[in-house]
Amino acid sequence: MLRKEQNDLVTRTGPGTPMGQLFRSYWIPALLAEELPENECPPVRVKLLSERLLAFRDTDGKYGLIDEFCAHRGVSLWFGRNEEHGLRCPYHGWKYDVNGQCIDVPSEAPESGFCQKIKLKSYPLVKRGPVLWTYMGPAEKQPPLPEWEFALVPENQSFMSKRFQEANWLQALEGGIDSSHVSFLHSGDLESDPLFKGAKGNKYNLGDTKPVFEVVESDGGLFIGARRNAEDGKYYWRITPWVMPSFTMVPPRGDHPVHGHFWIPIDDENCWAWSFDYHSTRALTDAERNAMRQGKGIHAATIPGTFIPTANKNNDYLMDRAAQKAGRTYSGVEGIAIQDSSLQESMGPIVDRTKENLVSTDNGIIMARHRLLRAAKALADKGVTPPGVDTAHQHVRSASIVLPPDKPFKDAAKEELTVRPGVSHASV
Amino acid sequence: MLSESARMTTAEEAKFRIDAPNSKPRAIKVIALDKRSEEVVKRLAKASWNKASFFTSLHFESPPQAGSDWSMKAWLNDLAGRTSKLVDEINSADLVVMVASAGTKAEAASVIGEACGLKRVMTTALILDRSSATDEALSETLLHLRPYASMLVVADDDDYIESMLVALRA
Repeated sequence: MLRKEQNDLVTRTGPGTPMGQLFRSYWIPALLAEELPENECPPVRVKLLSERLLAFRDTDGKYGLIDEFCAHRGVSLWFGRNEEHGLRCPYHGWKYDVNGQCIDVPSEAPESGFCQKIKLKSYPLVKRGPVLWTYMGPAEKQPPLPEWEFALVPENQSFMSKRFQEANWLQALEGGIDSSHVSFLHSGDLESDPLFKGAKGNKYNLGDTKPVFEVVESDGGLFIGARRNAEDGKYYWRITPWVMPSFTMVPPRGDHPVHGHFWIPIDDENCWAWSFDYHSTRALTDAERNAMRQGKGIHAATIPGTFIPTANKNNDYLMDRAAQKAGRTYSGVEGIAIQDSSLQESMGPIVDRTKENLVSTDNGIIMARHRLLRAAKALADKGVTPPGVDTAHQHVRSASIVLPPDKPFKDAAKEELTVRPGVSHASV
Repeated sequence: MLSESARMTTAEEAKFRIDAPNSKPRAIKVIALDKRSEEVVKRLAKASWNKASFFTSLHFESPPQAGSDWSMKAWLNDLAGRTSKLVDEINSADLVVMVASAGTKAEAASVIGEACGLKRVMTTALILDRSSATDEALSETLLHLRPYASMLVVADDDDYIESMLVALRA
């Protein structure tokens, strides 16, 4: 459980909040690069950390993320004209560049210098891999660009999707850290999903349905190890890294691409579930890419033209009680992403953690909250840079690996848990 | 028309969640396995808890031997200096938390772990002060704890244990 004031602190990410300040220490995913596919394409409305913004790509290909509303009369610039190096408000023609600087006020004489006095709040927007990243903190503390491996490999080795989730970001993140739910909610997908099936490690999973968990702190966050018995007294480990504030990576299976998530607050009651897949040494196959587009693995099929899942709360997530009864799916909901989102949304927009009863297998969640609260307070009180900002913390991998029984997995698998360019993930 | 799921997941509907206790306090026994951990446990014991009790050391009437009747020989010292049979404490526990410092041998874990195993009581092991121990020393501690812990946490700082106990409603 968390006390109410702790729950409020860790779930609220708007401007001026401690957790909002923490999120504003990082480069976070803002849009898929494909949402702004060409110069002078239509702008896109973006809400992040409870701020209404507008993203656009100008005549020169520069990306901008600016306050959504015109400084003149508060009109949404989404209706604007993206033309000649700026975005022009259709109401009275005020025009802004990618930095939010007003560059034309037609009603005023250019010599008056009036437009130089008008500037909308703006944030940097940078393409790296399949994602446009933004940093919403103070300019003087802007960290180096993110160095997540999936964003640095050649683009034919990486795939990213996002879906709208109607729940606070922490509910979604905690699902990614809670390894013990996999044996229940997602059982059934292991041997049927094209992005999981066929790996040798699946036999360990299916042969030992009661893994033992170990939680170990890392410089950037946590490693959560799930241990199962392997041959000759050894242990089969599935190791999930969490890097603050909201990055997790699922342990790989065989030669399948490895996948993971970011959960980014839209506001306090909604978040983006970002889902990536990549292979560290080879291009994704057409079959893999098609499966991801169709919502297999950790991805979700979405309503065309939106990022709203096809199965969502308005249609009861296409609940199939017959499939539930027959055991084809454990909960009756199909697909890993929607299995998670259906339950996380069912908790309500911000779950009341004063009512929960955690058990010892929830230590990953407990530790993550502990570290988030500690980091938010240290930043607010003393200006301490939080874990995960240092790009070295981002050079992390998940792993599935067989180790001797007496070894600390974090040390025994140190190389395997670190990005090694040109070397595949450690995967069984 | 909204589906039931859509309606029930709104913030407005969430307010109607029944506001009544949904659990009873759990008896959590926290046992320090070495001198360094004793300091942490003694400090924790001064706070107010629902149903947690704290023990600082494990003593044996005689050294435990393989195959011996552990339950008659293992004792815990509580903070008031009273002694009690380990088996009695385990019998009344919902969860046993063993606390060890990285680098210590945590040999008492086997006695406690076996007792918990027989009584079907869940065990969590918490290793503190990881940063001050070598990998080899940590391996030694893990070797003794892993067979007897259904959940194991390696923490960098001492204050995690308090967060964990609060989270578990101890």
